Amino acid sequence: MKLTYLLIWGCMLAFGSSAVWALVWAIRRGEMSDFKAGAESIFDEEEPVGRPTDAFPGARP
Amino acid sequence: MNRSWSFIAGVLATILFSMMGLIFVPNWQFEQLKPVVDQNGISHPTPPAGSVLLGREVYISEGCLYCHSQQVRSADFGADIQRGWGTRRSVARDYIFDRPHLMGTMRTGPDLENIGARQPSREWQYLHLFNPQITSPGSIMPPFHFLFKVVDKGGPAPVGSVDLTANASPTKKASYLVPSGRAQDLVDFLMSLNHSYDLPEAHQ
Amino acid sequence: MSAIAVSPEAAPDVTADYVTRVQIDRSCRQTVLGYYASAVAWLLIGSLAALITSVKMHHPEFLGNYEWITFGRIRPVHLNTVVYGWSSMVGIGTTLWLEARLCKVRLPHRALLPATVIIWNAGVVWGVYEVLAGHSTGVEWLEFPPQVLGIFGFVLLVLFWVSLKMFNQRHVHHTYVSQWYLFGSVVWFPILYSAAILLPTTGMVGGAAWATTNWWYAHNVLGLYVTPMGLATIYYLIPKVTGKPIYSYHLSLLGFWANALFYSWIGTHHLVGGPLPAWIITLGIVGSIMMFVPVTTVAINHHMTMIGKFHMLKTSPTLRFVVFGAVSYTAVSYQGSLEALRSVSHVAHFTHYTIAHAHLGMYSFYTMTMFGAMYYIVPRLTRNEWSSVPLIKIHFWTTSLGVLAYFCALSWAGWYEGEMMNNPLIPFIKIVDYTKPYLVARSLSGSFMTIGHIAFAILVFRILRSSDVSMIGPTLFTSKRGMMRWRRKEA
Repeated sequence: MKLTYLLIWGCMLAFGSSAVWALVWAIRRGEMSDFKAGAESIFDEEEPVGRPTDAFPGARP
Repeated sequence: MNRSWSFIAGVLATILFSMMGLIFVPNWQFEQLKPVVDQNGISHPTPPAGSVLLGREVYISEGCLYCHSQQVRSADFGADIQRGWGTRRSVARDYIFDRPHLMGTMRTGPDLENIGARQPSREWQYLHLFNPQITSPGSIMPPFHFLFKVVDKGGPAPVGSVDLTANASPTKKASYLVPSGRAQDLVDFLMSLNHSYDLPEAHQ
Repeated sequence: MSAIAVSPEAAPDVTADYVTRVQIDRSCRQTVLGYYASAVAWLLIGSLAALITSVKMHHPEFLGNYEWITFGRIRPVHLNTVVYGWSSMVGIGTTLWLEARLCKVRLPHRALLPATVIIWNAGVVWGVYEVLAGHSTGVEWLEFPPQVLGIFGFVLLVLFWVSLKMFNQRHVHHTYVSQWYLFGSVVWFPILYSAAILLPTTGMVGGAAWATTNWWYAHNVLGLYVTPMGLATIYYLIPKVTGKPIYSYHLSLLGFWANALFYSWIGTHHLVGGPLPAWIITLGIVGSIMMFVPVTTVAINHHMTMIGKFHMLKTSPTLRFVVFGAVSYTAVSYQGSLEALRSVSHVAHFTHYTIAHAHLGMYSFYTMTMFGAMYYIVPRLTRNEWSSVPLIKIHFWTTSLGVLAYFCALSWAGWYEGEMMNNPLIPFIKIVDYTKPYLVARSLSGSFMTIGHIAFAILVFRILRSSDVSMIGPTLFTSKRGMMRWRRKEA
């Protein structure tokens, strides 16, 4: 019984702290500071912001 | 290489957290439940054995659980008790021997938690399984012809058979309905579904 | 697969970005197309199983003499083929491609990965055979024999390993939001799946706790496996197709973590009113209501990004399907949160209403999104164009109208079914009678969707078979100029 309690609280503590760890990691890496760059990271020179990339066959995007 | 690990740890934490809460803690709580013994020395619920256990396999194999639940909701939540599906609500203790659980989530057909008490006629069960239209016209339950053999009336009635002529349409030939071993097991299992014994926590 | 000979030096008007992207797409070709082709095959099989199941619901005698396709066996075959066949395989294919694109690295282990397609397929075939033969485990969403865990588990580990490898070798600084979601599903699903199988089969969990395990798993398949893959796809494709960055990147990250924290708790709302202590059910309900947070962030993001771009729905097949999926995600999530409330569950639980809700999620959201993803990705892998505009339109209209009709019919039927069930004066058989016309409507709308699937399968078959390089309007590729040059060089 005591062991189960310990296990439960131990796990909860471990999970909680690893969640915090991930958050700290993300902030340190700057994932949370430059949102504009993050959002634009899927575009490049060839497929820049503002250019559509899909259309029905035979049609112009 | 190591930078992704903190992210993985965070992601992992969320799932393990809910696993503790929804699996380990409930299981730890239910593990301590024991059957109650009545004045005749019979324990409730009774661990299934023999043909009941085999019948349970048939119940699973034919997928009965997709249309029939095995849980009675309390009187203030739905009309289960008023419909006569049970005398009290189901509680975790009713399921301590269930491997796997067959609680179900659909009621295309009625609840079966207490079918053994509600419909104790084996004959009815056989006819209903063979062709639900005989006992319940308009039902959308599939017929289980393949669990039975139909033999012409000529000789003496085979052991355990049901007179089909009296129950089916009169144009049909006189015949007996002979349940296979699996059909008998299945009905044994259905008969065992009787949770009308009393449990203290069901009244809380 | 030979290395691509194009370089910026060789052809000055082909940029480095373009070459990188072509190389990445090319590296995914065999593996992703393998997953896609199998997924479409399972989609057809799953649709057939669905139709048989649906007809049996209003004509129970239909094919009633064959034990191996009795209702209780063909129904789980439908569920398992669409979940582990179609949804998983199309999802894994899309995940691999998206990760390669997001990390800007080529897909590693290109010799090993196509083999996982065969292995996964073998797992599904085996599982389906066992269910048809009557050896189902009897646990919803986990009917396949527990040993299949060995097969799926292996592939999922490979997937995890490959994702990790690509992530650690990535050539971009920012971790785009899609990447978070994909990583989430890649980590979550193996744990979910193995826990849901191993804990009960080893005897560690039994009785009523098996039910909580079951629904913890079944709902998390939606929330922590299918939904992240679907959302990752939407978060990538809407901006990419419209050329407009996501509306609020900040909100998208908040949405990810809120989803991760709350979704994993909501499974027990499937047991509202059931034989479990109130606190377990309450946890499920609270989690469900908290889902308003991530859903709202996702809804704001998807719909605000689309603002000003709605005219593109006319011109882009990908966008049509993906936006249909995104709108459905918002709808199904809010509906799900409300459905978990005791007062709603009181009526809707145990009825066809739940089935309608499930299809709004798995089909209207996830499947439609994945159709959109395939419309975008397959031409880039095969370097071929979709062969027929009318077939694409047939596919879109039959599936979208079909699923809407399906949803409306079953929601309506289910709600009244529940209301009648709660009135003890109405005999049960009257309720069954009431639902019958709606069950017929379900078969009809299901046939409609199946027509769409056949149209889609024809398109996929043609694009995979075709070796035609004479593209008239290379609509799906950004750089027509670069594209043509690349082709000429290769020829």
